[in-house]
Amino acid sequence: MELFIQVAVSGLLLGGVYALLSIGLTLIFGVVRIINFAHGELLMVAMYLTFWLFQAQHIDPYLSILIVAPALFVFGMGVQRFIIQPIFDSPALMKIFVTVGLFIALQNLALMLFKADFRTIQTSYSMATIDIGNINVSVPRLVAFVFALVLLAGLYAMLKYTLTGKALRAVAENRVVAQLMGIRVQRLYLIAFGLGSAMTGIAGALLLPFTYVFPTVGGIYTLLAFVVVVLGGMGNMAGAFLGGIFIGLIESFSGVYISPALKEAVYFVIFILILLVRPQGLFGRGKGTEEVGLK
Amino acid sequence: MKRRIFLLLLLLGLVLLPVFYSAPYFLHIIILIFFYIALTEAWNIMALCGKVSLGHSAFFGLGAYTSAILCIKAGVIPWIGIFPALFVTFLGAAALAIPLLRLRGPMFTLATIAFSEVLRRIAMVWREMTAGAEGLTIPFTPGWENLVFTTKVPYYYIFLVLAGGSVYIMHRIYHSATGHHLRAIASDEEAAQALGINTNRVQLVGLFWSSGITGLLGVFFTQYSYMIEPEWAFSQTLFALQPALNGIIGGLGTIWGPVIGAILMTPLGEFLRSYLGALQQGLNFFIYGLVLIGVVMVLPGGIVSPILSFLRHRDFKARQASSGKEAV
Repeated sequence: MELFIQVAVSGLLLGGVYALLSIGLTLIFGVVRIINFAHGELLMVAMYLTFWLFQAQHIDPYLSILIVAPALFVFGMGVQRFIIQPIFDSPALMKIFVTVGLFIALQNLALMLFKADFRTIQTSYSMATIDIGNINVSVPRLVAFVFALVLLAGLYAMLKYTLTGKALRAVAENRVVAQLMGIRVQRLYLIAFGLGSAMTGIAGALLLPFTYVFPTVGGIYTLLAFVVVVLGGMGNMAGAFLGGIFIGLIESFSGVYISPALKEAVYFVIFILILLVRPQGLFGRGKGTEEVGLK
Repeated sequence: MKRRIFLLLLLLGLVLLPVFYSAPYFLHIIILIFFYIALTEAWNIMALCGKVSLGHSAFFGLGAYTSAILCIKAGVIPWIGIFPALFVTFLGAAALAIPLLRLRGPMFTLATIAFSEVLRRIAMVWREMTAGAEGLTIPFTPGWENLVFTTKVPYYYIFLVLAGGSVYIMHRIYHSATGHHLRAIASDEEAAQALGINTNRVQLVGLFWSSGITGLLGVFFTQYSYMIEPEWAFSQTLFALQPALNGIIGGLGTIWGPVIGAILMTPLGEFLRSYLGALQQGLNFFIYGLVLIGVVMVLPGGIVSPILSFLRHRDFKARQASSGKEAV
């Protein structure tokens, strides 16, 4: 029973970061309507940036968020402006291919710059735990979870109450009508891509103290983000949050009760099953995701 | 007619090539080109219906592992191992058939990635069968019956046959009713269904050929490389991304696109890997990624598209000229 609670707690905490990562993806998808196969690579870029800032400049990973988040915001806007926007009216397949190209290029750029080694950072608190009864709560995981919650609340408030947030929701709802209402749609695409990338970047900085980064790490997180988003229903923020927690729990439990080597295999199987059985997601309403990104 | 003579001459040249020049490294590159022509052609058969797979490494790995394990553990020669290998590949294809028929666009692509990742993990963990990351080695007993040779020349002919065969299969499918139906599905699945096309059946036919050729290539390519391990046999980069890259850069859903893509990209990759790779690991795929972005932005139909439109334009002109004469 103790083990069960222990595993549940660590899964829940991990799920918070997964939620942050996935909400980045669902924000980009919801507004720009593009399926970004390079999403995990955005996370990878942020993780390496955090790693470099720590190793070379001795900046604490949590402090480095102040650099990583704006850097990823600009990077995301650059991707939208120079890669996505020029082919915006091409068929959906073509848009997939450019993001696949981006994912291959970024992954191998990382291989060139950092080699194939697994890297992490050793902070004073990497191994620290807080003991509650017999349950150990990992400090970096707890920090990541709290941080993710605060950010998600912030994003929610921003989308709900600010003018830009309302405009973003309007574009997500119906881009043609939004344009007719005088919203500058192209500019909002840039903001959405930047914002989604920044959220993903923060998730990367939060993950690094207790996980590894290596050049092909992005592929796993791309799939993970899609699993979460499909689970929660495409473009559904609250769904992505619950989906993130759910996948965090699944990963923890299957790592302990099945095999650590197969924990990813387990949620990929769940992914395929969800796509087949309930394509609109566990919490999704309306149309299914099986054709998402085509229209 | 002219085209047929040209193809026959080309084939004759390729058959005679090793007689005149058989430097091992040169033949190795040509063998790789043949292998990638076949693999890309197989990938492209499925891409005909607009469904892009980034998980063909699953079929490759299933075929490769089945025959390699039978060969190493039970002494089954690969010529017989082909049949169980194809059987297991088709079981894998059957598992992917449900996502193929139910999903479209990016979600199908993601499902294929997840599918091949799951198989790779299983191959890593199932150590009794695959020896995990240590890998298995094909016993070195040269001879045609074991498909193990001391020189590269026999492999050259084997992969020449495989490349030629898969181009031929693609050619037959492309011009058959199934091929037209697959292309109709690519442009609009609902409309194709409304016109009375059995979309499920033709997509399964496409999957059958595509996975079968890929599984077969797994059997033969493992014999060529002598050894097999999960990271290699289920490698997303080598056997899923690379054919997709070749296909998209050459020309998606065309007969000759994969050939052009493989001929251009394989030597480029080998050159970058052997000359610059020592300096910079990953440079070759970094450049591939940029080439892919560039091709999609500048030539969305692939490199084959301007050639095709040139040929069509010329045929059209020739027909116009001849019909003009008749009118006079």
